[in-house]
Amino acid sequence: MIWVWIALAPILGGLVYGGERVLRARMQRRQGPPLLQPFYDMFKLLDKRTLIVHAPHALLAVAHFFVLWFTIAAIFLGWNLLYIIFLHLFAQLLLIVAGYSVRSVYSHIGSNRELLMVVAYEPILILVAVGLYLVSGSFEISQILKMDGYLTQLPLLFAALLMIVPIKVKKSPFDVGEAHQEIVGGVEIEYSGVFYEFLYMSRFLEYIFIYSFVYLFGGESHWLGAVLVAGVFLLVNLVDNATARVRPAQMVKIIYTVAMALAVLNLAGVLL
Amino acid sequence: MELVLTLILLPIIASILLLMLPNQRAQYVVITAVLFLLGLGAFSLYTSMGVLTFQLSHTMNGAIVAADVVLLLFFLYQGRVFNHPKVMALAALQLVLYGYIESIVPEAGSAEIVVDSLSKFMFLIINGVGGIIVLYSVKYMEDEPTSPLKKRLFVGGLLVFLSVMNLIVIANSILLFFFLFEMTTLASYLLIAFRDDEVSRANALKALWMNQIGGVVILLGALVAIIGFKSVMFDTLLQSSGGMILLAVALLSMAALVKGASIPFEGWLLGAMVAPTPVSAMLHSATMVKIAPYLILKLAPALAVSMVGGIISIIGALVFVAASYLALSRSVLKEILGYSTVALLGLMMALAAIGTQESINLALALMLFHALSKALLFLSAGVLERLHHAKDIEDMKGMVTRSPKTVGFILFGFVSLTLPPFGLFMGKLFAITSIASLLKEHPSNLIILLSLIVGSALMVLLYFKVASALLSAPCDVEVSEAIAIPSGFNVPLVLLSFFIVIGALGYIMMQQNIFVVLLALPMLFVFALPSLIRRMDRYDRSQPYHCGEKEPFDAALVYFESSVKVQRILYWGFGSLFVAVAIVGALS
Amino acid sequence: MKFFTSFRKKSPWVLHYNAGSCNGCDIEILAALGPKFDLERFGVINTGNPKQSDIFLVTGPVTYRSRERLVELYSQIPEPKVVVAVGSCTATGGVFRGMYNVEDGIDRYIPVDVYVPGCAASPQLIIDALVKGLEVLEAKSKEIEKPFKLFGAIETIHNKLSRLGMAKKVEPHAKD
Repeated sequence: MIWVWIALAPILGGLVYGGERVLRARMQRRQGPPLLQPFYDMFKLLDKRTLIVHAPHALLAVAHFFVLWFTIAAIFLGWNLLYIIFLHLFAQLLLIVAGYSVRSVYSHIGSNRELLMVVAYEPILILVAVGLYLVSGSFEISQILKMDGYLTQLPLLFAALLMIVPIKVKKSPFDVGEAHQEIVGGVEIEYSGVFYEFLYMSRFLEYIFIYSFVYLFGGESHWLGAVLVAGVFLLVNLVDNATARVRPAQMVKIIYTVAMALAVLNLAGVLL
Repeated sequence: MELVLTLILLPIIASILLLMLPNQRAQYVVITAVLFLLGLGAFSLYTSMGVLTFQLSHTMNGAIVAADVVLLLFFLYQGRVFNHPKVMALAALQLVLYGYIESIVPEAGSAEIVVDSLSKFMFLIINGVGGIIVLYSVKYMEDEPTSPLKKRLFVGGLLVFLSVMNLIVIANSILLFFFLFEMTTLASYLLIAFRDDEVSRANALKALWMNQIGGVVILLGALVAIIGFKSVMFDTLLQSSGGMILLAVALLSMAALVKGASIPFEGWLLGAMVAPTPVSAMLHSATMVKIAPYLILKLAPALAVSMVGGIISIIGALVFVAASYLALSRSVLKEILGYSTVALLGLMMALAAIGTQESINLALALMLFHALSKALLFLSAGVLERLHHAKDIEDMKGMVTRSPKTVGFILFGFVSLTLPPFGLFMGKLFAITSIASLLKEHPSNLIILLSLIVGSALMVLLYFKVASALLSAPCDVEVSEAIAIPSGFNVPLVLLSFFIVIGALGYIMMQQNIFVVLLALPMLFVFALPSLIRRMDRYDRSQPYHCGEKEPFDAALVYFESSVKVQRILYWGFGSLFVAVAIVGALS
Repeated sequence: MKFFTSFRKKSPWVLHYNAGSCNGCDIEILAALGPKFDLERFGVINTGNPKQSDIFLVTGPVTYRSRERLVELYSQIPEPKVVVAVGSCTATGGVFRGMYNVEDGIDRYIPVDVYVPGCAASPQLIIDALVKGLEVLEAKSKEIEKPFKLFGAIETIHNKLSRLGMAKKVEPHAKD
């Protein structure tokens, strides 16, 4: 059963992404695309001629997608949270190296920003893992989901996690990595056809990755987890529609001061 | 015991042989044979059981005292010749202290030389990595603009240094340790000044005076040990208890902080980067600076549950973050590597000072894998310097087209420092788990944990920033043909990479944890990618997109320039922490 | 494949290029993309990147400075692709016709599939043209389509890349 879920993970993520596009459209009082729009896009991309810049660049995107999928599989199988975070880092670094390997200025800036994003969210993710460990006594997701009361003990840590969700799903105010009008998608820019499709699907997987961290705060109760995910999903899109993009350096500064302080305060509170 | 003696004497014999052999081929034969024997000896010692001890005779002790006095007088003389008051003052202070200690030194209670499991592990690092670096240095020195004699002296000197290192890790007497500590300082001084220009000389003197602070605190530690416990042996000191022990241990750990170039002493290690690259690799990254974590590991039983241990581990952890942060403002590749060495040494010291069995094992693993990876990186930097005359990462843009293989080695080095399943990454991962499990009992470990997390993230930024420079090229770059790496450079690099992979495999197999083994899967997948490249021929190529523009461009690298104010705060903060170690030691 | 071809018209991604327009048509295109006319309900995304686009929306008469970029952008869009010329200028040069620095219409350089009249073209017309363009798109094959003229500058980049071994198989373009 669990393997079916793992196999369906990109589809699940695609539905989330499609739902998000509809939701954002409704927030702006327009009709928006159909729910299955991401899949239409994927099928269309299969039908395009594929242009690549050079072979390693294209292959790194494929590797990025599969390592990310492996990470998601690890989440569904209930592995150690730290392994999952570092596997995700691995996937991200593959994409960053790919971005640097072509002679496109947008790709380079995108990679630079992608690196800054990693620097911003990575410590918070690990602190979240440590916080969950302090309450549940284990880094294993399967163990974490057997306990309860994360939200009451780690409210500030949850707020810190909330601050990095927009970075991961590339939403305002922290969508510096993609920055559509500025750097035309950043690292994605040189991909087309089938290889862009892998990047498009890895975006779906990113949704699953970050929202499963939110879900973990629900603990034993699946309902609480689902409500949390839905609430965060709404909130992130609301903020996305209502705010402007910050500069990359500002993003790092905000995360390192506000989110880090929240997380550390919460951990210190749990310990003392 | 014969094996240990071989490890110490063989490099000296080999260096004498080298001086007599002008033929490069013969030199290679000698060095390869010595490398093989040293590696074999170190490995068979590592697998052997038991603790070896050895008592020095009176004449030997007398010789050491004489050599020590000569050494200190040489430092004093150097200080006079180059008119450097700090060097002179510290050398004079050490002479006075040493004279006084020798007059009150008690009879040796136990053996001066003890070969325990820690020493055996250090043999492995010193002889394995050090030997490969010596092999590399023959080719490197070929193009050095000096006399042939000086070149041979250089390689011979590196070999003699190996035997000094082999001795220092088995010294049980604090005074013998002091002598060898000063010997490594001397080696550092002479090798940094090797190129004999103004900058080298100034940096060499800086290294000399800073390292002599380490000598002074060791002597003070010895003095405390003699007054308090009537012994100058490490093992007696660590077995005894009482008020004074922590002061002695604190003073000795301060020596480790100096040797490990923790902030505010990181200046000497960065200055040392003007030396020829094998020196940077051998002394200032792979072996000599490892004395710092080694010393802390040796003192770990006393440090483990004390305030001193706590403050040392906090200093180490903070150095890890601060050095990674400061490195972000640098653009010379060797300096960046130097800073990251400072940072990782801090981390190793922090783990060693926590002192649980788990964290000590982690510190050991980090030492081994750091030595391998950093040696690989430094040697590759040396190749770029020799073949392409590039030292600054801004000059290395597009290096991937000019020297793809070297860039491959550097990227592999970075990957081995940051990603699963390589040893250094695993060490950091287990460190997080291990420290998190200690949080409940010691909430102060939160500082260490936080530093570890943030420092690791900054290191990723640092390494991949350099990688970006190597991979990217401005459009208008004049493309030259790739230069092949000569085998004199290639063989050591391949050997190091091989050992990194073997080490990583061994380390994950040791964990007895199926999930850890599975972590290696993605890396296998990435290594399989090149086999797919041929298949990509069927896709059409297109040029990159520049919004239709065709002007040359150049994307900038990420730099974080730290302001003078921040630097001043860092220096004062770490300086006062350094002094605080002694104060805490004295109070508790 | 037939199955995938049917999805071409469900997800037209758009690249918008201003070849020296007075910005009148560009504002109308933005209006069409905005909440009121909501082009996204057809699955339209304004990608800003030729490599992921299907429909090339061009405004303005082609000025001398912009023609090389126009051709380069066009050649970077992977097939199947459709060019929609928005506004009178793109068709004939419009009010700028005959000026010293202006070419009269984009069809001197690239093949155009749909023309939209108007100065400026209204959003309703632009949407109509897009829908018309989708019909053309569905009928197209994946054969390589070339611009009518190719400028030397592009070729030097091609050569440099192929010398690096980074672009082994550069598409042969028609020379004028």
